[in-house]
Amino acid sequence: MRFTPTELTGPELDLQAEVREFLAAELPPGTHEPCLGMAADHDREFSAKMAARGWVGMALPSRWGGSDRTAVQRFIVVEEMLRWGAPVGHHWVADRQTGNVILKFGSDEQRERFLPPICRGELGFSIGMSEPDSGSDLASVSTRAERSDDGWVVNGTKIWTSNAHMNDWFICLLRTAPMEDGNKHAGLSQFLIDLRSPGLEISPIPFLDGSHHFNEVTFHDVFVPDINVVGQPGMGWHQNTTEMAYERGGPDRWLSPFSTVEQLLREASGTPMEDAVSDLFGELAARWWGIRNLSLSVARLIDEGEAPSVESALVKEMGTRYEQEVVEKLVQLIDEEYSPESESLFERLLAQCVVTFPGNTIRGGTIEILRSVASKGLQGLPA
Amino acid sequence: MTVTTAPEPVVVDELITETADRLFGELCTHEAVQAAEEAGVAPDIWDAFCETGFDLIAVPEEAGGSGGTLAEAVEVLRLVGYHSAPIAAAENGILGGWLLAQAGIERPDGLVTVVPPRAAEVGWSGGGACSMEIAGDGTAVLNGEAHRVPWARSAEMIVCVCDCDGQTSVVAVPASECEITPLPNMAGEPRDTVRFVGAAGVAAPAPDGVDAEALAQRGALSRVALMAGAIEKMCQLTVSYTNERVQFGRPVARFQAVQQHLVWAAQDAALVRMAAEVAAREATRGEAPFEIAAAKLIANQAAARATKACHQAHGAMGMTQEYPLHHFSRRLWSWRKEYGSDAHWSAVLGTMATGVGPDGLYPLITSGTAALG
Repeated sequence: MRFTPTELTGPELDLQAEVREFLAAELPPGTHEPCLGMAADHDREFSAKMAARGWVGMALPSRWGGSDRTAVQRFIVVEEMLRWGAPVGHHWVADRQTGNVILKFGSDEQRERFLPPICRGELGFSIGMSEPDSGSDLASVSTRAERSDDGWVVNGTKIWTSNAHMNDWFICLLRTAPMEDGNKHAGLSQFLIDLRSPGLEISPIPFLDGSHHFNEVTFHDVFVPDINVVGQPGMGWHQNTTEMAYERGGPDRWLSPFSTVEQLLREASGTPMEDAVSDLFGELAARWWGIRNLSLSVARLIDEGEAPSVESALVKEMGTRYEQEVVEKLVQLIDEEYSPESESLFERLLAQCVVTFPGNTIRGGTIEILRSVASKGLQGLPA
Repeated sequence: MTVTTAPEPVVVDELITETADRLFGELCTHEAVQAAEEAGVAPDIWDAFCETGFDLIAVPEEAGGSGGTLAEAVEVLRLVGYHSAPIAAAENGILGGWLLAQAGIERPDGLVTVVPPRAAEVGWSGGGACSMEIAGDGTAVLNGEAHRVPWARSAEMIVCVCDCDGQTSVVAVPASECEITPLPNMAGEPRDTVRFVGAAGVAAPAPDGVDAEALAQRGALSRVALMAGAIEKMCQLTVSYTNERVQFGRPVARFQAVQQHLVWAAQDAALVRMAAEVAAREATRGEAPFEIAAAKLIANQAAARATKACHQAHGAMGMTQEYPLHHFSRRLWSWRKEYGSDAHWSAVLGTMATGVGPDGLYPLITSGTAALG
């Protein structure tokens, strides 16, 4: 494990300035309700505007509609979007991971079909991993795809599927061969499934605050053509593990409460501030500075051709706990009661943080699973 | 479109890392560090350290130093912390050596140490018990008491920053002019009480950029570097120990509850080393009040968490003198309190963060001191 310090180059600083300028024009502070991190509003128009700048799927090759940009350049764009609370929900999953999976494991036909529209900000993806009986023990998935003449027939249920009701496509881990004794990772395959396929049923699982985010997706003899199998049938576990690594260690794992903190400072301006509140702003700035430097160094390692899976897991585990700690500190210090419908934007955001942030240490791999991944890496054991 | 020029990279010569790591690796065995603690001095280790020239790293050659950058000095200090080397490397070099070089005061052959500014606040201006008079010829006469002066008992010269009649001076007093009472910190490192009773020294006006605040920042940077090394070593000890220690038929590192400690310690090791290196890089380029304050606060908090995690993972073995964990944990508990507590640096950072306002808060996180304007 080694996190090497890095800093932005001149052209990278230019990109940062360009993104800040774009956001200041598109979403002037005070004119929009900031989103809390990656659980952001879906706004196809905003995604299209970002795509027009070349900021969606930007690290994908230009041959497939991308911009040949680096992981660090993507880090810069994502970081600015999240700290601004921009509505990046529509293209989020495709940009962060699905595009990479299709590039790495997909066929040329799939690259041609999916990557250019991803880079135009058009396609929204959902992820089909969890099932009623498969959560952290992902290898136990039992939703099956069975061979038919020119494709596969899928039956079973996926749950906690974020935004399936709004998205276009579903990248799914399915069982294509029965579970073998002694090799629980065999017999799994990854599929691209149209969320409007006949026989595919999407029903809401209301989030704890009543909002619609999660879904249950049920397959009743859903036909999926051969051309929608990603990579090799049976290699789904390996591909999925690779995909998970794209999920980890980025700004989405430590920036979610930033808009809330910034808004507190905005609403506190002009009135005398208690020392304890001022000290908290200082502490938070310091800790964000520290985590950001670690996270940036992971992006740089990726650009240097490394696969920093231990480092990513360490940053995600730390970052998501930090997000919850920020909220806890605000709750301890702010002597107001708040509601999701408070007049104050800060109070609305804080209420939303309190209610939704327990999920931050669960989504995309629980921190318990991350500890297992990271500690095996620290001990030099295979993950 | 504007084209921004990134600052020149700050590179640390790999040879420095290799040389210091090898030197301390050979000299600072568990037994040698223990013996130094009992004796309160470690002249053999200090002499070997001086032979490499690292004792005066980042002190300009024209002032009798070894040259090199602050970032390189921080790398040496990180290795001092990593090996719990019982030497006054920071005091002699980037603190005392720097003050003397800046003020143009000739350094003696032996060890130089520094009165930390916070210690001066306690003993110096507290109750007005301390006073200084400077004669026209630059001779200073000091009366009073300074607390927690590192390695004063071994020093040839004690250097302090004093404010007198609106003038900030660097004052150097031969240790022979002082009454020194030994006092250990929690790691048994000398943090002595120094009494000045009509002690005669040399005073020189402090040039721009040299004052108690600047010394406080350099001191904090030195502690962050030491702490980065100590946490990293403590974390490595913990990974090894939990892989060897078998309970319930398997190494305890296989238990998820123990893995949590390993992961948290590794995160803190990574975080403090990153903070030390980025702060050193910026301090090498110029002023870095944000980075240093942030790094010390991060290091203080990490020391608290990581010592707890590593001790817990070691069980009773970590509570013994025969096992080396305590060399690192006790130093971390001590260094955490030196050159600024959590509360001190949070307040400093809070003034910066609220000063830049809501629109400046994120630029402060990404650009640090440069965003302070």
